[in-house]
Amino acid sequence: MQREHDPAVITAVTAALEASVNRALTLAPAASRELAEMADTVLAIECTAPVITVYITITPMGTLQVSSYSEAKSSTRVRGAFDDFLTLATADDPAATLINSDLEIVGNTAPLLALQQIVTHMDLDWEAPLVDVLGDVAGHQLAQLLRGTFSWGKDAGKSLRRQLSEFILEEGRLSPPAAELDAFYDDVQNLALRVDRLQSRLKRFAQKVAAR
Amino acid sequence: MTDHNRPSGDDQDTTHFGFTTVKTNEKEKLVRGVFDSVADRYDLMNDLMSAGIHRLWKRFTIELSAVRPGQTVLDIAGGTGDLSARFSKLVGAEGKVILADINASMLQVGRDKLLDAGAFGNLHMVQCDAQYLPFPDNSVDCITIAFGLRNVTDKALALRSMERILKPGGRLLILEFSKPTSPLLEKIYDTYSFRILPMMGRLVANDEESYRYLAESIRKHPDQETLMAMMEDAGFVDCQYHNMTGGIVAVHRGIKA
Repeated sequence: MQREHDPAVITAVTAALEASVNRALTLAPAASRELAEMADTVLAIECTAPVITVYITITPMGTLQVSSYSEAKSSTRVRGAFDDFLTLATADDPAATLINSDLEIVGNTAPLLALQQIVTHMDLDWEAPLVDVLGDVAGHQLAQLLRGTFSWGKDAGKSLRRQLSEFILEEGRLSPPAAELDAFYDDVQNLALRVDRLQSRLKRFAQKVAAR
Repeated sequence: MTDHNRPSGDDQDTTHFGFTTVKTNEKEKLVRGVFDSVADRYDLMNDLMSAGIHRLWKRFTIELSAVRPGQTVLDIAGGTGDLSARFSKLVGAEGKVILADINASMLQVGRDKLLDAGAFGNLHMVQCDAQYLPFPDNSVDCITIAFGLRNVTDKALALRSMERILKPGGRLLILEFSKPTSPLLEKIYDTYSFRILPMMGRLVANDEESYRYLAESIRKHPDQETLMAMMEDAGFVDCQYHNMTGGIVAVHRGIKA
């Protein structure tokens, strides 16, 4: 038999992933409704390093079914290394990341991007489970506190990224800005074209000289 | 005599019950005694014995079944209904799941558990013998038997019975303890099975003997290749198996031609 990963190990990963995403979806009814509209879509995520294929099926209930084996036809199959998938999963602009990454895509990319958007922009309602456990007053207060903390964390993260980027580009001059890089690439491309043209002229000139 | 588990010798009317040789017609009664004894704490013991991994083995088996809405699934030796509960959701209201077990005690525990979990409507329960399945030919899309085949007296007869009732293209999935692929793991597993397992049986279920039988019956069960050959002999095609947890458990899949 072909050597393969222990299915029990992969199943543990898929089961944990499925349970955590679906748990989060129960707290995000809007995301769940959006997913339900994509029911029966199957996405195949084929990781080349390590070699694991995971199938994500969207159910009519707006939940995800994550498995290591599926015979259903995949609407999208994405193949690549784990790092590329991680970059895509955390990207602010998944469409651009998908185009610029080394990921190989077969089929329709729209369901993949839609799923990524829904999952990353899930608005979790922390209040419902907290109120169930702690009651209306304490649950609401704690939910407010959590919301504030998460919101601060998100803003702080954004601000830190922006400041870090500014330091690398402006203060430290450790890396050129994107516009400067683009201009440099354009210059290199123009130079390459001009060299090609010059080479053609020289070739033509050499042929004329040889003919005389 | 087609059962690969049966001891060789002149006395053809005997079979194995763990490491003990018993008369063929007594095995069913003895196995029933074991499961009557453990039925109440079967799920708890499964979790303790496998550290919960049996749920992953079963989950992968369900994935391999590729069951679709509207299909009919037979869960033989379904015991406390772990697989049936999941199949019930997969086949939906148009489908049908039959939870079958030879043991009334296990079936009763399974029925109560499934009802408590809200699984009903498309679920049916049948007390029957895997060797003589009381269903029409070509009537079932998928058959699963999880940790049950090793307790069947004549496994070849049971496999033929399963093949008979499956629809052409239907699949059989056998989840069963098997032979570890690494000698080191086999030694550790032996120590666990014959020393720790009966002790756990005594402490948790107050029944050391039943759990000793479970360990012995696993050793007497055909290994991966032998079971696959038995499936092919019974008429299944495209047979294959997946080892799990180092071969401690294997899931075999065969298709009815």
